[in-house]
Amino acid sequence: MAVFDTPEEAFGVLRPVCVQLTKVQTVENVEHLQTQLQAVGDAALQELQQYVLFPLRFALKTPGPKRERLIQSVVECLTFVLSSTCVREQELLQELFSELSACLYSPSSQKPAAVSEELKLAVIQGLSTLMHSAYRDIILSFYEPPILPRLGFAVSLLLGLAEQEKSKQIKIAALQCLQVLLLQCDCQDHPRPMFELEQQQHLGDLLASFLPGISTALTRVLTGDFKQGHSIVVSSLKVFYKTVGFIMADEQLTRMPKARAKPAVEHRVAALMIHRETDWVKSTGDKLTILIKKIIECVSVHPHWKARLELVELVEVLLLKCSQSLVECTGSLLKVLVGLVNDESPEVRAQCNTVLRRFAEQKVVVGSRALADILSESLHALATSLPRLMNTQDDQGKFSTLSLLLGYLKLLGPKVHVILNSVAHVQRLSRALVQVLELEVADVKMVEERRWNSDSLSASPEASDARPWSRVQRRYFHCFTDERVFLLLRQICQLLGYYGDLYLLVDHFMELYHASVVYRKQAAMILNELVIGAAGLDIEDIHNKRTSIGPEELREIVKSILEEYTSQENWYLITCIEAEEGEEMTMKQHGLQAITSGAHTCQVVPFPALSKPSPTICSMNSNIWQICIQLEGIGQFAYALGKDFRLLLMSALYPVLEKAGDQTLLISQVATSTMVDICHACGYDSVQHLINENSDYLVNGISLNLRHLALHPHTPKVLEVMLRNSDASLLPLVADVVQDVLATLDQFYDKRAASFVSVLHALLAALVHWFPDADSTGQLQQSDLEEGRQTPAACEASTTAEDIEQFVLSYLKEKDVAEGNVSDLETEEEEQSSTPKVDENDTLPDVEPPLPVHIQIAKDVMERCIHLASDKNLKIRLKILDVLGLCVVVLQFHKNQLLPLAHRAWPSLVHRLTSDDPLAVLRAFKVLQTLGSRCGDFLRSRFCKDVLPKLASSLTSQAPISARAGPVYSHTLAFKLQLAVLQGLGPLCESLDLGEGDLNKVADACLIYLSTKQPVKLQEAARSVFLHLMKVDPDSTWLVLHELCCPVQQFTAPHPSLHPVQLQAATEQQNPFATNVLYLLQKLQ
Amino acid sequence: MAAPFPPPPGPRFVLRGTQSPVNTLHFCPASQALGNPLLFSGSQSGLVHIWSLQTRRTVAALNGHKGQGVTWLKTLPQGHQLLSQGRDLRLCLWDLAEGRNTIMDTVQLDSVGFCKSSVLARGQLCWMLAVPGKGSDEVQILEMPSKTSVCTLKPEADAKPGMPMCLGLWQTNSSPRPLLLAGYEDGSVTLWDILERKVCSRIACHEEPVMGLDFDSQKAKGVSGSAGKVLAVWSLDGQQSLQVYKTHELTNPGIAEVTIRPDHKILATAGWDHRIRVFHWRTMKPLAVLAFHSASVYCVAFATDGLLAAGSKDQRISIWSLYPCS
Repeated sequence: MAVFDTPEEAFGVLRPVCVQLTKVQTVENVEHLQTQLQAVGDAALQELQQYVLFPLRFALKTPGPKRERLIQSVVECLTFVLSSTCVREQELLQELFSELSACLYSPSSQKPAAVSEELKLAVIQGLSTLMHSAYRDIILSFYEPPILPRLGFAVSLLLGLAEQEKSKQIKIAALQCLQVLLLQCDCQDHPRPMFELEQQQHLGDLLASFLPGISTALTRVLTGDFKQGHSIVVSSLKVFYKTVGFIMADEQLTRMPKARAKPAVEHRVAALMIHRETDWVKSTGDKLTILIKKIIECVSVHPHWKARLELVELVEVLLLKCSQSLVECTGSLLKVLVGLVNDESPEVRAQCNTVLRRFAEQKVVVGSRALADILSESLHALATSLPRLMNTQDDQGKFSTLSLLLGYLKLLGPKVHVILNSVAHVQRLSRALVQVLELEVADVKMVEERRWNSDSLSASPEASDARPWSRVQRRYFHCFTDERVFLLLRQICQLLGYYGDLYLLVDHFMELYHASVVYRKQAAMILNELVIGAAGLDIEDIHNKRTSIGPEELREIVKSILEEYTSQENWYLITCIEAEEGEEMTMKQHGLQAITSGAHTCQVVPFPALSKPSPTICSMNSNIWQICIQLEGIGQFAYALGKDFRLLLMSALYPVLEKAGDQTLLISQVATSTMVDICHACGYDSVQHLINENSDYLVNGISLNLRHLALHPHTPKVLEVMLRNSDASLLPLVADVVQDVLATLDQFYDKRAASFVSVLHALLAALVHWFPDADSTGQLQQSDLEEGRQTPAACEASTTAEDIEQFVLSYLKEKDVAEGNVSDLETEEEEQSSTPKVDENDTLPDVEPPLPVHIQIAKDVMERCIHLASDKNLKIRLKILDVLGLCVVVLQFHKNQLLPLAHRAWPSLVHRLTSDDPLAVLRAFKVLQTLGSRCGDFLRSRFCKDVLPKLASSLTSQAPISARAGPVYSHTLAFKLQLAVLQGLGPLCESLDLGEGDLNKVADACLIYLSTKQPVKLQEAARSVFLHLMKVDPDSTWLVLHELCCPVQQFTAPHPSLHPVQLQAATEQQNPFATNVLYLLQKLQ
Repeated sequence: MAAPFPPPPGPRFVLRGTQSPVNTLHFCPASQALGNPLLFSGSQSGLVHIWSLQTRRTVAALNGHKGQGVTWLKTLPQGHQLLSQGRDLRLCLWDLAEGRNTIMDTVQLDSVGFCKSSVLARGQLCWMLAVPGKGSDEVQILEMPSKTSVCTLKPEADAKPGMPMCLGLWQTNSSPRPLLLAGYEDGSVTLWDILERKVCSRIACHEEPVMGLDFDSQKAKGVSGSAGKVLAVWSLDGQQSLQVYKTHELTNPGIAEVTIRPDHKILATAGWDHRIRVFHWRTMKPLAVLAFHSASVYCVAFATDGLLAAGSKDQRISIWSLYPCS
């Protein structure tokens, strides 16, 4: 809308208005002028500046009382003119400055005139605009000593406004104006005048006079009303640090000439001038320090993040510019920074971090001894008070205290190395850390939780992509409950490890670790973190300067810690009360030292059963935690070393695996996750892979420890775990260690059989698993046979006379053979079968080929089983029977080995079957089944002679009991035994290919169980027996069943020449056998 | 309840995986290993295994003897070369530098006996080799690597010492005259002067064949073990004549190898009774009987840092660390 671009046009328009205003000074006229002015272009206005200003200034200067409203509009109009023009004359600037400031002057009081808020605002803005519109040269000459009184007046005016006004708007405006006045403006539309050093120095000298006033007034503003808006705080802080940062800048002060230049001004003004010499700097610095501390105290806890952000700014500016002049308050300034690093607002955190990083880059701390000293002193003081603070503060307080500690360490960076060389520092720090990290160990549940199923390591690697500590077990500390505090502590330790001298620290904490049980857990935790830190993983290094130690050295350190962790007295601690068949007794002996030297003050829960000083729940908990922490440590070491850790596996894997089989749930869980950590660190796909690849190390440990079984009672467990997780490729190694195992077993068969038996079980299970081909082919053959047997039955759909004739003929022939009239047919067969044998003998002279390794192992094991099958301990007997079954499975195709062994095992097996605990009978029967299915012929007569009568009679005698029994019966052992026998008898009869007489015995014994009075399960099992009997001898089964219950009145013979047959079994519906028999007969057809 | 004595020490670790009895062992000298100490083992199945003592695993298996047992292994001073003697009547020189595992050269042997060869460095690139010779009682001396025959040492016609069983080439620090100690089937140890091709001295210190000997040139004393029960220590005086210095009666007969530790402090024997025996070399005081193996021990070897390795028929190599080198 700028229509009047040339001065002439503009003049034409403005002249009448200006004249009018000069004559009559009213608000309307001023507003009229302002409206006209808006239509004038900037360039034109600049030409007419003086002309336009005249009526306005005239209005201000006219003596006599004026209406505020008028002054306000005049000032606003003036401001408008100034905002679109420049002030080019020194005089004009000075005059305008005085005139504007005078508007707020009240001659009566020291305070600003009691005028309306609008006017105040207008004047403040006018001043601000004036300073902005002044030319650079003019500004320079403006700030000369003679102006001091007037400037001082304006400054104090603005300060007064900022301090005492109610209106937030005015306060902020005043503060901003002050900033402009002090030439520290940072607004964008006016490029900040850039002064040369000389000029800056000059300005600094001039403005130094105002420093005391400004700083104290601002401090009052800042610390005054806690509830004042954050924008006021932000602006005040800005003015404060800009002013202080300018006047106290090291850059200026160092260049300060010694002698004071004689100012060429009148005496009164000269008295106001200040020469910033050393003494002045010192005293001002001291005073400022007090003020700054007050400000920090107040603002660092300001609820609004912008205020805290500005405080960070303040710290940055002051530390960067005035680190020497304000050396006294560097400590507090750094503390702010360090404390706010973990601020809850992300902006503040980010800013803090950038500032810290900048400091590090510019080596503010590292480069200057003074700062480093201050920091290390603060650190020392903090470490000293830390234990007290940790006891008294709440979690939030602890959090901020520890944040501070962390911040100091971060800031000190490489200097930490130097600081930690001081024994006092290390001791304070370590004492504090150890105290804070004290664990709560009174939880009873931990000891109670047991791992019962000893199945495979169920570690799922997918859950483990996270870094080790994300899965660290939740632990409970004496001093705090907040998880964040723990995280902070870890970071602190890691930082120590990263910057500090690892050798020194490890030595120190190792010493603590040795010193007492009380410190052991904490020391271990700290050691773990130190190593992680030393590896430089996940460390936020703001100095980008690594003084890291080489991987070789780190490995050596880790190795030594590892040795300590896994040493006899630190690894084998008591974690449970009940001795496992006396096995743990020896272990207790060792753990005892650890316990008795402990000084736990928690309540003592004595166990009267044990005569010797019994471990308390507390101490056991403590032991559990210690083991867990050490296990975790191993995982963390692996993480720290990465693939390098592979070299330590030879010593680390065995102990971890040992703990993976521990009875305490927590320990075994932690050990398992440690293995997963190791897998990740060393690049193995799974725990199985890890164990498989490193079983040579394990075997080494196992075989050496087996030699001293009393000292290493857990060795068999490790072997067990290893066997479960490895594959057939390890057979040579396994064979080697199995020899050791068997030798040790022979030596200790009376004391430690239990643990060995489970190893043997694992071994044989592994063999069965590794060599499944043998098993599967066996089943294949069997099923083939079954099919072959079924086909002819299926073909007999229609019967002709020829069939019958054929049947009778063959029957007669068979009967002949059975009666001993052996035809030459059989001898022929024999000859045929003997011929290939001769061939074999030719190719293989009397030397037998060496047996496959696994067969040899199974053979050796089975031999031991024969001996151990009559052990006194029922558990062992049961386990041995299982092993025996597995041996049979492995050996099934090596009849030459199996049969002699089976022969030797038989008497013992029979003994188990006939006169042992029902549980043992049950297992023994299972073995019998396996044996029967693998070497049927061999067993037939023995079975019929030794076992069958006993089984049949027990079945018969139990039948009435089970028929009468209630629903609870199905939970009794007797029932289970009946069920097992009935279920197993069928397949057994089939595989043993029993003769007719024996089959009848079986059928007789089982018939009773077809009654519907029997429990349903037994009925089912009995039916299965008959289904099997049908396969062996369908005809006699058919007959037996029909004798029991006959659904058909009369049978018509297949050929008219034969008589119809009638059976005399009861047919009525009350027959308890009817249902089952009918079902079976249906199957038979 | 706790055992009054600590349990007897076990081996530091055991190397498994030769899958065949271990006939001979040799530590790679530290100067050549460079932070990764190696151990060579020769097995009855004809393989030479290279073990890293750091990872305790095989680094490589050298197959150069056609499945015939390897009886002797030795590294050459000029780095990364290994000599292996096999029962396929060949002596192979392996190049092991930079991970190469290739045969550089072979020497055909004529004796089918069990006698181990011996090597003596003579200058930077040449060395002398003593191998069992063509005649059953001869020892042949070769100049290597040219393979030129220096001489054949044949005992005098009436001596009839039987086959040489073990050889030891050495020379004193003062004179460059190479000497050879040879143990014979009849239980005698003979000192040969190679340049003059004559017997310097001969003592009959065993009644059974000498199975192994070792010589300490500093103390001018040597030790030999035989198939019998006696361990004999003999010394060499200024006139180069051997004298029996001391004998030691063992509980069980049969020593497969005797080795003195490089620092001349202790010596170890490989016993057919499955045991390794350790003696104080100066006093011959028995120090330890190491029982670990479950079959005859065939060989013992010392590393420069004092580590002891023993190989056995039970296919294991046990590594022991005892009486640290001072």
